[in-house]
Amino acid sequence: MTDILLLARTHVVTALRERVTLFWFLVFPIFLLTILALIFGRIGEESEIHFDIALVNRDVGAPADGFSARIASIFVEMSTAKESGERPLFSLHAPSLDESHDDFLAREEQALRRGELAAIVVIPEGFHEAVLATAMAPIMPDPPSFEVLMSESDVASEMAAGIIEQIIVEVDREILVQMGRFDESAAIGRAQVWVGEDAADEVRYVDFLLPGVILMGFFTNGLFGVPGAILFNRDRKVLRRYWVTALPVGRYLVGFSLGHLALCVMQFVLLYLLGRFAFGARVSFARLDAALLLVLSAVTFMAFGFLIASLARTANAGMAIANVLNMPMMFLSGLFFPTGGLPTFLAVFAAVNPVTYLVEGLRTSVGVQTASTSPILLLAVPLGWIALSAAVASRRLRWDVAR
Amino acid sequence: MSAFVHLLLAEFRILRRSWLALFFTLIFPLIFIVIFGFLFGGIGEVDRSRMGLVISGPDGELLESVIGDAGTMEIVRYEAVEDLSTDVGERVVDFGLAWDGSTLRSFLDPSRVQENFAFQQVVEGMQDDFDLRRQGLTNPIGVEAVHVGPSDAAGWFNLVVPGILAFSILSTGLFAVSGHLTEMKERHTLDRMIVTPMRPVALLAAIASVRLVLAFVSTLITLFVAIALFDLSFDVSWPRYAVFVACSTLGTMGLGTCIALLVRRPSSASNIANALAMVMMFLAGIYFPAEFMPRFLQVLGQWLPLTHMANAMRYVTGVLDMSAARFWTTSAAFLGIAVVLFPILGRYVVRPLRR
Repeated sequence: MTDILLLARTHVVTALRERVTLFWFLVFPIFLLTILALIFGRIGEESEIHFDIALVNRDVGAPADGFSARIASIFVEMSTAKESGERPLFSLHAPSLDESHDDFLAREEQALRRGELAAIVVIPEGFHEAVLATAMAPIMPDPPSFEVLMSESDVASEMAAGIIEQIIVEVDREILVQMGRFDESAAIGRAQVWVGEDAADEVRYVDFLLPGVILMGFFTNGLFGVPGAILFNRDRKVLRRYWVTALPVGRYLVGFSLGHLALCVMQFVLLYLLGRFAFGARVSFARLDAALLLVLSAVTFMAFGFLIASLARTANAGMAIANVLNMPMMFLSGLFFPTGGLPTFLAVFAAVNPVTYLVEGLRTSVGVQTASTSPILLLAVPLGWIALSAAVASRRLRWDVAR
Repeated sequence: MSAFVHLLLAEFRILRRSWLALFFTLIFPLIFIVIFGFLFGGIGEVDRSRMGLVISGPDGELLESVIGDAGTMEIVRYEAVEDLSTDVGERVVDFGLAWDGSTLRSFLDPSRVQENFAFQQVVEGMQDDFDLRRQGLTNPIGVEAVHVGPSDAAGWFNLVVPGILAFSILSTGLFAVSGHLTEMKERHTLDRMIVTPMRPVALLAAIASVRLVLAFVSTLITLFVAIALFDLSFDVSWPRYAVFVACSTLGTMGLGTCIALLVRRPSSASNIANALAMVMMFLAGIYFPAEFMPRFLQVLGQWLPLTHMANAMRYVTGVLDMSAARFWTTSAAFLGIAVVLFPILGRYVVRPLRR
């Protein structure tokens, strides 16, 4: 037993001494969790997003309390911080007093094309009169429009244009209510229903992300760590030193596996603590099914690592195979992005990918996803990969360099 | 000059035999393009989604007309709200809408955290429109979105493809010199070359020249595959494209030479190059706009070479505008990195492994 524990400790200590190992197994998952939580966890929260937009009000003859001025003032208001230190939704660019509208527009359009600006709002001449006429007409004609110049190739620009459109919908309603045209008592009721057993509220992005990043950590640990440790130790003849002792391969394997699982536990604890205390994740893994799935994931990816080690002739070849499989297996699994709507050849890859089932199983077990696959399949595919990997590795994996 | 020509031929032969280098330079960017093209193509695109609908109140035709105007999503009709709710949960439909004559309810799966924002926006738009039309009203103010981007066929993926090209140049460049030199050291081939009168910079120039051609071919293949597979259109300025790919590849190879100073094994060089490239990929706005990132990360992104490489690639492929001065400055900066770093670092990196 002591030899097994010593081997496990050796594996952990060796892995933690390698700066590269530390980067991929600890630093990178932490970086990914941080960056994705900071970026995607805030989509939809207007106070966290910021756009540079420009505004040109060509309706200079309109009254100061007219519709044109009112719309302009809404954008000015939305580009003013409500509290000190807060960043407003918009940074507003407006022409200076001595600058012509055409010159300003030409310059800002250029900035829009260069991706330095998200949108340009252009209120046309005669806009106030046209809106007044439309709102007063017994049968409302097509509404007068103002232009929002944007770039379809720029996601930020599209998003800014969408937000501007939403703002105007609110203004529209206010105008109609004020003019007595819209009867608020006859307005429809609106409700949003979250579907699911315990779906009292929307799942927060960080709660959805955290199980995925933990599995990604286990995955890279198995995919790179296992063949890396086995093949480099074999090629550098470190393993040969073990074989001249009385240590059988089986006991080495048990010690190695324990060490690997200990690394996974360390990864889990660090990522969970970061998710919980830095990003406020509320997801709980303190459930038997979640714990079993975490163990199954670590074992599946470790077995996968042995499969790679048995297919590669050298350590560099092992790393190359792991590199080739890494991206497709990680991204075609639903770990970070939904995989619905993939073409058949990629859908087949996702269907045989064990990560697909493990991530769905784990997210379902912690209550951040509704299962769309049967529980039997969720377990059968990873177990199948473990069996296949064990069978191939037991036949093909060489534990010493050829003499 | 004669040494350089011989080294060039030797490097070409080495590359031709190295299936791994060829695979990672030529095929790997294609894997990126295929995966991300299909994967990201559907996210948030409500027009390609399925909406479940239950109408059990008056004004059903009006609601259907509002939904028809809202987009081209597929509509699946249900008799009962319970069936709709079940199918939303089981992802038979993406989201649902139910009208009972007084309330328009939306049904969403809480675990679709990445897509719900888009679904909610569409539902809100339909609710607003339906509310007004029921009272015989329309919006008094219209909003006309006018595309003024540089390319007629612009779309989100048009912007991502040049970013992936830039990323592939960066990863090739960072690893090309560092990986090859460390491999030569490990196999002791550098020991044999170092005793000849060969100048270190001639070896670096030969490695860089061969890998430059490969990187250029790789970007072309990737670009054409993206165009063919995803029906994209780019307005490529070929002379500027050639200049920029050459300058940026050489520049990133110069930066990669710094890695060769720090490591002794090809696997370490590969790991450092990969780690740097991956971190830069997330911060340089390749897959999502920089505006989504916190301010401090946006500032950090501006200091990364990949940010400027991606923007310049977008410029030469016609999907982003840039002043000519900025483009030439960026290209010259990358070329400058190579011109300065190769001769300076050559004498330090082209030396045998310490024993």
